[in-house]
Amino acid sequence: MKSKYSALPYYVWMALFTIAPLILVLVFAFTDNNGAFTIENISQVGEYTNVLVRSVWLAAVATVICLLIAYPLAYIMSRLGPSKQRTMVMLIMLPMWMNFLLRTYAWMTILENNGLLNRFFGLFGVGPFDMINTQGAVVLGMVYNYLPFMILPLYTIMVKIDNRVIEAAQDLGASPLKVASSVVLPLSVPGISTGITMVFVPAVSTFIISRMLGGGGNLLIGDLIDLQFLGNAYNPHLGSAISLVLMVIILLCMSVMNQFGEEEEREGMLI
Amino acid sequence: MSTNTIISLKDIVVEFDGERVLEGLDLDIHDKEFVTFLGPSGCGKTTTLRIIGGFVAPKNGDVFFEGKRINDLPPYKRQVNTVFQRYALFPHLNVFENVAFGLKIQKLPEKEIRTRVLEMLELVNLKGFENRGVNQLSGGQQQRVAIARALVNHPKVLLLDEPLGALDLKLRKEMQIELKKIQQSLGITFIYVTHDQEEALTMSDTVVVMKDGDIQQIGTPEDIYNEPKNAFVADFIGESNIVPGIMKKDFLVEFAGRDFECVDSGFTPMEQVDVVVRPEDIKVVPTIAGHITGIVENVTFKGVHFEMEVLACGTHWLIHSTQSQAVGASIGMQIGPEDIHIMHKMEE
Ligand SMILES: Nc1ncnc2c1ncn2[C@@H]1O[C@H](COP(=O)(O)OP(=O)(O)OP(=O)(O)O)[C@@H](O)[C@H]1O
Ligand SMILES: [Mg+2]
Repeated sequence: MKSKYSALPYYVWMALFTIAPLILVLVFAFTDNNGAFTIENISQVGEYTNVLVRSVWLAAVATVICLLIAYPLAYIMSRLGPSKQRTMVMLIMLPMWMNFLLRTYAWMTILENNGLLNRFFGLFGVGPFDMINTQGAVVLGMVYNYLPFMILPLYTIMVKIDNRVIEAAQDLGASPLKVASSVVLPLSVPGISTGITMVFVPAVSTFIISRMLGGGGNLLIGDLIDLQFLGNAYNPHLGSAISLVLMVIILLCMSVMNQFGEEEEREGMLI
Repeated sequence: MSTNTIISLKDIVVEFDGERVLEGLDLDIHDKEFVTFLGPSGCGKTTTLRIIGGFVAPKNGDVFFEGKRINDLPPYKRQVNTVFQRYALFPHLNVFENVAFGLKIQKLPEKEIRTRVLEMLELVNLKGFENRGVNQLSGGQQQRVAIARALVNHPKVLLLDEPLGALDLKLRKEMQIELKKIQQSLGITFIYVTHDQEEALTMSDTVVVMKDGDIQQIGTPEDIYNEPKNAFVADFIGESNIVPGIMKKDFLVEFAGRDFECVDSGFTPMEQVDVVVRPEDIKVVPTIAGHITGIVENVTFKGVHFEMEVLACGTHWLIHSTQSQAVGASIGMQIGPEDIHIMHKMEE
């Protein structure tokens, strides 16, 4: 009984801030300006297929890059002494203390046609290169901003891997590569799936990064939604429909990934 | 280095945070030998095994394997397998996969792996547990998986760090016999760590007694038991009465208020010594026939024998006898010359 009552505030919270907005989005997505039921909004989303595909693609690329960078780093961190580990965690969190917009502005000034990098290349007589307003810049922005969200869950899982288990694998003849593939990887699967979720979901729905680093040509779903609510294309019904589609896409991606994660685990068992 | 030396440690020094854990350890281990490290907790037994396994780099000294210096060889390239003190099983693998791990790395055919793993599981009494997760096993069962996982690879040298510590007495005795049998039939060198001196004495070819990172004595179980080099070894290997004495001259020692004939010589005359007498070497006789007279203070039944505490000449003596005596009774104690072991006083 007691636990029932103590959970009550959370139920209220969820009803107010999770369920209600969801219902609102649903209602908006399936109604027109007069409040009548319609599926026109949803079918209209089809016109933006290329934006949807681009969003998923760029977010996926950024997620993979984050994983490739973060995985070895998290492993090395997890094997350091306790005080070095704390320092590393601090260093990784540090950029997050700076405002997100500020960080992204900084990248603008670095990547611009007469920005820091191009001026640097100019010293050697090469360039200028087109870096700003490219898909590469968008991916870079995503990786830079979301990398900590990949490192931290991986690190948290990896510190729990007992060094003695790694020693046991080495003792049985496992080379460093083999230790990584047949002990560390299977034991870190939960961290991998958390990290992927934490990077992919915000990356796929971002709009600031794409607007600031991608220019007008690399519109993402986030920008599209933003336009429907705050931009000149004002149409909250279409915006809701796009949001709904985005949610479905994320759900699909996540369930595909969980499937993969489970397989990974089962494969780990067979090694 | 003799021809059949397989592992040789030369002047090994290990420090952790500036604290010396091993102080210039020298040791030769012969091929197919069963060597046991025996010593109190914290004396450096596990550290010595980790030196051999390659998990600790010595601050000073060399490790040789079949005559080749292997200080810089990483653990996975050493022909040594370890049964770890705290098992270190793979939590994501089941029992079968744990045991098969090393064989899979060697890329043996699937069929051979299967036969060897199942054989080994049968040997350690874990038949039928193949598909269990290792976290669903009792401590003793986990320990046996750890033994099987190392042994199944038939390494040249097997390091065993208190491998039977979690087993009950009966299973422990069974496993001792099994391990000894395997060691002999496969011709594997065993380097074995135990707290249990009886285990050390019954299983080993050679016993290495350690204390504070130093070797006190190396010898056969008989040597160690019958000719302990100092009072520490005597006390650690089996129970002993250790009393102060004075070596009057060769073959004559004074302790417990009288002179005794003994078989030791070569001490400086009137040297202060430790006299060691095993509890089972003291004969209980009528008071008039004894060398010393004492009062029985306590009697405990120990299964095969009675253990008596006897107060004589201000010392409490431990006596093992098949015959019980009444508490408070006066008894005579007889000690033969060859039952008296004289040791130099340990410099503390
Ligand atoms: N990684 C380490 N860091 C610091 N000190 C250590 C480390 N490993 C061992 N020691 C110290 O070295 C000494 C020897 O340890 P070791 O584990 O070799 O003892 P042991 O003989 O195996 O003891 P036990 O019988 O209790 O297992 C101990 O004093 C221990 O505290
Ligand atoms: Mg130990």
